[in-house]
Amino acid sequence: MPTVVLMDASLSMTRPVSLEQCSEELQRKNLAVAGLTMLFEHMANNYRLEFTSLVAFSSLWELLVPFTRDYNTLQEALNNLEDYDKTCLESALHGVSNVVQQEWGHACPTQLQMTDTMHNLEQLLQLNGGDGQIFTMEGQLCLKSVQMFTQIMLIDLYPDFPAVLRCGNLASDVQVFPRPEPVFLDEEIDPMPRHILTDLEIVGFIEIGDISSPPVMSRHLVLPIAVNKEVDDVGPGTTEEPEEETSANQQAGKVPNFCVLLHGSLKVEGMVALVQLGPEWYGMLYSQADSKKKSNLMMSLFEPGPEPLPWLGKVSQLGPISDAAENPYGEDDSKSPFPLQPKIKRSYAQNVTVWIKASGLQTDVQKILRNARKLPEKTQTFYKELNRLRKAALAFGFWELLKGVAELLERECTLLPDTAHPDAAFQLSHAAKQLKLASTGDSQYAAFDQNINPMHTDFSGGGAGM
Amino acid sequence: MKMFSVSHKTAFVVDHCPYMAESCRQQVECDVLTKSRGQGMIPLAPVSKSLWTCAVECSMEYCRILYDVYPLKKLINYIVSDSEFHILNSWRQEDQSTHELMSALAAVGPPNPQEDPECCSVLHGLVAAVESLCKITEYQHEARTTLMDTADRVANRGRIICLTNAKSDTHVRMLEDCVQETILEQNKMAAGSDRLMPIQQCELVLVHIFPQGEDTLVSDRPKKEVSSLLTSEVHSVRAGRHLATKLNILVQQHFDLASTTITNIPMKEEQHANTSANYDVELLHHRDAHLEFFKSGDLHMAGSTSRDSGLKETVTLKWCTPRTNSVELHYCTGAYRISPTDVNSRPSSCLTNFLLNGRSVLLEQPRKSGSKVISHMLSSHGGEIFLHVLNSTRSTLEDPPSISEGCGGRVTDYRITDFGEFMRENRLTPVPESPDTEASGKPPAERAKAQLERYTRYWPMIISQTTIFNMQAVVPLANLIVKESLSEEDLLTCQKTVYNLVDMERKNDPLPISTVGSRGKGPKRDEQYRIMWNELETLVKTHVAGSERHQRVLDCIIACRSKPPEEEERKKRGRKREDKEDKAEKSINKDSEDKSWQESERLKGVVERVKEEQGESEVIKDSPDSPEPLNKKPRLEEIQLPEKAKGPVSLLTMWTNRITVANSRKHQEFAGRISSVNNKAELYQHLKDENGMDLHENGKATR
Repeated sequence: MPTVVLMDASLSMTRPVSLEQCSEELQRKNLAVAGLTMLFEHMANNYRLEFTSLVAFSSLWELLVPFTRDYNTLQEALNNLEDYDKTCLESALHGVSNVVQQEWGHACPTQLQMTDTMHNLEQLLQLNGGDGQIFTMEGQLCLKSVQMFTQIMLIDLYPDFPAVLRCGNLASDVQVFPRPEPVFLDEEIDPMPRHILTDLEIVGFIEIGDISSPPVMSRHLVLPIAVNKEVDDVGPGTTEEPEEETSANQQAGKVPNFCVLLHGSLKVEGMVALVQLGPEWYGMLYSQADSKKKSNLMMSLFEPGPEPLPWLGKVSQLGPISDAAENPYGEDDSKSPFPLQPKIKRSYAQNVTVWIKASGLQTDVQKILRNARKLPEKTQTFYKELNRLRKAALAFGFWELLKGVAELLERECTLLPDTAHPDAAFQLSHAAKQLKLASTGDSQYAAFDQNINPMHTDFSGGGAGM
Repeated sequence: MKMFSVSHKTAFVVDHCPYMAESCRQQVECDVLTKSRGQGMIPLAPVSKSLWTCAVECSMEYCRILYDVYPLKKLINYIVSDSEFHILNSWRQEDQSTHELMSALAAVGPPNPQEDPECCSVLHGLVAAVESLCKITEYQHEARTTLMDTADRVANRGRIICLTNAKSDTHVRMLEDCVQETILEQNKMAAGSDRLMPIQQCELVLVHIFPQGEDTLVSDRPKKEVSSLLTSEVHSVRAGRHLATKLNILVQQHFDLASTTITNIPMKEEQHANTSANYDVELLHHRDAHLEFFKSGDLHMAGSTSRDSGLKETVTLKWCTPRTNSVELHYCTGAYRISPTDVNSRPSSCLTNFLLNGRSVLLEQPRKSGSKVISHMLSSHGGEIFLHVLNSTRSTLEDPPSISEGCGGRVTDYRITDFGEFMRENRLTPVPESPDTEASGKPPAERAKAQLERYTRYWPMIISQTTIFNMQAVVPLANLIVKESLSEEDLLTCQKTVYNLVDMERKNDPLPISTVGSRGKGPKRDEQYRIMWNELETLVKTHVAGSERHQRVLDCIIACRSKPPEEEERKKRGRKREDKEDKAEKSINKDSEDKSWQESERLKGVVERVKEEQGESEVIKDSPDSPEPLNKKPRLEEIQLPEKAKGPVSLLTMWTNRITVANSRKHQEFAGRISSVNNKAELYQHLKDENGMDLHENGKATR
């Protein structure tokens, strides 16, 4: 989640801090800078992938540093901050909104850090649907308390998400970045936020073609971490020396890690691993490559629920292929059990009849007439189209249409050329008669599930029989 | 997001009174005469739909769109009202289809104009609709059962859409009052019942339909609150296409739908097959597919146009002709089912058929700046078409570190291919829900996890950590031992694998022991076998708790690896020579392994010549009784092996072997020599076969 640091650069920030315990003379601005320096240091050490931007505001606002991972640039801009006139939060927030949307689009939640003390911040939170937090300094304003305060805030806002990725007995300690946010389902029935488990268990594997670009709530890098490394290096004070760290990293690079194996095989095979994130909550692991041929293990979170993707069905009903009597992928991988077909076809897949526009009705009638002129060759299509029209007319209570089409067929019968096959006349008058009977609504002839069948004719005997 | 919002239950009440049989006075010319045929013919009089037909077909269109976009959990109860009410279906999911409804409607038929209008009223239907809304749906029931003590969180709301021909505004008010009273009455009854729920919120949507050319007697009225339980709105609409438009707008409002028009679809002309024109197709879907546009305020920039009554808006997206059919995993933030507005028009059906045949289409959002942004994708999954929303903004995960930079990133000999094979074996498949599977305990996904657990009890991640998984000879056992249960046949295969390994050891075949990290020659041959047997034991031991047959595989290994005396003796003699042979053989072995072993540069020439003749047969060996692998050259091997067992393979020996092999191809080998072990052929061996395999004797398998 990108961070926007909104720094008050108005004159009010140059007020001196009342000095009782502190020896130096400090402005509020100096304290804010000190706090932010800590923040940037922490990010540089622990949240290297986080994007942060710096916006300064007074009555106007200015984007000092666009979203970046370069914390030196941020620090530099912070150090060179100038003083301006008065505080005007509203315009600043407009500015932030612009900056965020241009860069990330709407779907991206953003951390907003503000450095100032203000009483109307609480109202602001309410406007944001209560989504947010206000940290206020406690006690005396001085360098020490600013450091303590920043420390507390960092722990709260930028916690790690250490987890274990498991595939049976194979496992790896991982860092999930960015930290997955809790999710609310139906607030009425299920008002509790859902958090993903720190034990991420693989259920099985699916081909990329079968999972088929599924919708996801969020994406996260899954970075393997060395187990023996100290976990609680939250503050900048506890971070290791850079040199030591690199040597430790080099060491860790040489120890086989399950994530690397999994990533390699997922990439080669073009598959994803289905992973359980919680009760009735799943996600997928896959190899994500960027344009520079670098690739990494990525985890996408599906929407919580027993059936996140209709084409996979219920995830709890996905079992090992060894349970199936016959390999559903075929011996040569030529088949797939996916996607699942819905029980009822959608309207666009089942040749429905809609006559809302006159053209729909005309097309259907013309189709029947076109086939009528090609009898007996087109007998099957003729009756298929006739029955489709008959069913719709009966359902819509459109008996007038049945009578009309019957008359059209009778007319076609009289227009048959001498060369026409004798069967054509029989079929036309038979169809016309059946339609007329149906148009009376007589249950014997107007049953919806009944069809008009072609008349059986016997020309060898010279006559027609039913 | 509320599961049981007003749109969970929709009751349609359609007036079936005699006045609905009146014509809508919009004529349809269905006899389109062509010029050549039309001469002298009197065309058929145009047909005209009744108010009833208009109401039914428009309500069916509402249902069609609803079922396309929400095949589940949005339920319709269809009620027809004349002198009494007729309920055409129930809330049950299996009753929810247009086919079911059409069938029931056909049974009802059009209104009977001869019926006494005094007895007929839409009120019967409205009362039935309220009663019906009190009835619990299977989803409400399920939610209440699972929530138990917090069952009161399950809400009961609903909507009544009434299609009627009202007489006046007063008549409308009377209908509203009646619904309000019925709700109060029914709620009292529902309070004391298990299968009924009181209505917490009801939306009444009255649609007054009147014929073309008439003035309406009822005025439009926006939604107003009748009581805390009931809201009501009135739409006064002309029958025919106005009604269709109105219900199309209503279904969008009621179910949070939005419209997208796909533009620039290239399509072959029906008449002129070699020309192609561009068409537009309008689709309806959940409005969240446009969320990005709404939030960014880009809606108008995205090409939205107002149409018809000005209420309907559509976002235009441009078709991008798909180039490849490659399988790609797009970053997709949402997927929404679609329904074409004009389902059986030719452009619509061309588009939907194209998608149903498995092609995907990327859609481009036109921007004023002229830049191209692919924002959506149309794709079908199992006969259902979805509009996928693709992420088109900057990702916060851009430029991540490569996995090779992190933990384990420097290791180069991961068993990538083997793990790929493992993944294929652990692919998932849908298991039909049946009482049987429930009875057997574990749900399929748990069984899948249990299988992963079994398959990974012993799974070294890198090539240099394992010997047995680099040996083709171990494959049959390794594949079987992870199974939940072994058949008698499986057990036999495992035992044969073990005997084969014994045979290899007796013949002193080289093993693909890793020399990575160790300088010099690596372990001695007998040490290599000890490592191999230990590893095999480790693998099998993790599975002995599985079944008695798993235990028997382990028993077999333990019994077999105790060295037969003959071999012990041979080893003592052979030890001195082994040192010399080691270097040469190791490289042969490496090469034959078909793994990414580094070839020893110095011996490369020798190796390549030898590989041709004996390479493949070195490691892949089955027990004598198992069928021959396809690529095996049995005669070749049988002749070589006695030679090899004797000791070091010098260049001369290899050359001699080569000549011998070449010569042996020219004549039929003596049967006794083929089946000989150490150049000794056993006589009367068929007697042994009949007594079952006597396998432990001398550690030899007999043929």
